[in-house]
Amino acid sequence: MKEYFPSDYVPIFVQFVLAIGFVVVTMIATHLLGPSRKGKVKDDPFECGIESVGDARTPISIKYFLVAILFVLFDVEIIFMYPWAVNFKSLGWFGFIEMFLFMGLLLAGFYYVIRKGVLNWE
Amino acid sequence: MAFSNQQLLDDLQQQFANSILLVEEPFGLLTIETNRDVIINMLSYLKGHTTFQFIFLTYLTAVHYPDQKEKEFAIVYHLHSWVHNFQLRIKVFVPSPNPEMPTATVVFRSANWMERETYDNMGIHFVGHPDLRRILNVEEMDYFPLRKEYPLEDQLRQDKVDSMFGR
Amino acid sequence: MKITTLDKAPDGIEGEGFFATSFDQVIGMARQNSLWPLPFATSCCGIEFMATMGSHYDLARFGSERPSFSPRQADLLMVMGTIAKKMAPILKQVYIQMAEPRWVLSVGACASSGGIFDTYSVLQGIDRVIPVDVYVPGCPPRPEQIIEGLMKIQELAGNESLRRRNTDDYKHLLESYHIHVQ
Repeated sequence: MKEYFPSDYVPIFVQFVLAIGFVVVTMIATHLLGPSRKGKVKDDPFECGIESVGDARTPISIKYFLVAILFVLFDVEIIFMYPWAVNFKSLGWFGFIEMFLFMGLLLAGFYYVIRKGVLNWE
Repeated sequence: MAFSNQQLLDDLQQQFANSILLVEEPFGLLTIETNRDVIINMLSYLKGHTTFQFIFLTYLTAVHYPDQKEKEFAIVYHLHSWVHNFQLRIKVFVPSPNPEMPTATVVFRSANWMERETYDNMGIHFVGHPDLRRILNVEEMDYFPLRKEYPLEDQLRQDKVDSMFGR
Repeated sequence: MKITTLDKAPDGIEGEGFFATSFDQVIGMARQNSLWPLPFATSCCGIEFMATMGSHYDLARFGSERPSFSPRQADLLMVMGTIAKKMAPILKQVYIQMAEPRWVLSVGACASSGGIFDTYSVLQGIDRVIPVDVYVPGCPPRPEQIIEGLMKIQELAGNESLRRRNTDDYKHLLESYHIHVQ
C-alpha cells in the first residue's frame, strides 16, 4: 500500500495561498492605485434616488434562530450515530448501552425544549 | 335599474328638505347642489342607505369659477352604487378667500388622497383631514396652480425664446 | 450578404505577435464599446428606448448589453422622458450615486428642455440639475437617432482622459450643479 507523507499535501496548501494571495493583492492594488471620488451623498446607500432614512436593522423574530440551533444540535447527534451504525456488531452490548445513554441525555434536553414551548412557532 | 333619478331625489328631499338647492340632470346623471353644513350627513346617509348603497366615492374634486361671486369654488363628489350601477353627483359651492370644507375621510377612506389633491391644486382646506399636505406638486410650492388666477404662461421666464414659440 | 468589418485599430506599434499602444487608447476603446446604460425611462421616449433595445434596432451590439437599474453598475445615464419638478432631486441623487466615469444622454425634447410642457410641474430640461453630455432631440426621437446619440457618447468615452475625474474642470462643473465630491 502506498504511503502518504504530510509533505505530499504541500501543493494543496500552495494553491490555497495563491488563491487568497491573488484576491488580497488585487484588492490592495486597486485601492491604492485606482482613482476614486467620494462624497457624502455618493456613498449613501442607494434607495432609488430618495434619501435613505435610518438603517436596515429591524428586529427579527427569535424563533428562526432557535429552530436553526436546535436543528444543528440534533443533526450532530445523528452524525454521531452513523459510525455506530457501521460498527454496530463489533461494538456489541457495551456500545449499545453507551449510545442509548447518549441519546437519553439528548432526549432529556429535547423534552425540556418541548415543555418550554421553544418549538412553538407562533 | 332598481330605482330612478326621481325616486332618489324624492328620498333625498324628504331627508334633507331645506338643503337641496339646485337639481339638474345633464346627460342623465342626477346632479344636486347642497351646502357644506349638510354634506357629510348626506354622504353618510347615502353610504349607509339600505336601498341605494352608494358605497363608492368615485371622485372628489373642485372647480374654480372666478366670476361667480360668493360661489367661486365648487367641490364635486361623484358617488357610485355597485349594486344598482347608479351614479350621483353632489356639488357644494364655497366662497373664495379661504375656502374650507369638512373632510369626507370620516365617511370614505378614499377621500384622503383625493382631498389632498384638491388641496394641492385648488387650495381648499379640508377641516379634520388627518394629513393635509401637497401630494402631486413639490412641497415648497406656495401657490395653488389650478386656480384661474394666473396668466397661462409665466411672464418672468428667461429661457424660452418667444420668437421660436410663435409669438 | 454583408461583409463584417473590423473596427479601426488605435495607433500603436505592431510586430510579430504583439501590438503596443497607450493605456488611454486601450481603456478608451474598452469603455466606449461596453457602455452599460441606466435607462431612466419616464414616458414616451422610454417606449422608443424599448424599441431601440429590441432586436430590430439592437442597442446591445454597441456594447450596451446590460442595462442596469443600479447607478453603481452603470456608465451611462439615459434620461428618456418628461422629468417633473418633483422627480428632479431623485434624478440628481441617482446621478450623484453613479461611479465615475459617467456620461449622461438626454433623450427627447422633454428631458432636454421641458418639451411642449412649459408648465408649473415640469422641469425645463435636466441640465438644470445634472450635467449632460449629449442631447438627442425629438418627440420622440426615432431609434436611429437614439443610436446616433449613443455613438456620440462612444466618441466622448473613447477620448476621455483617464484622470478627468481629478481635474479642476470636472470639479468646477459639478460644483456649478451643487454636487459636492471630495
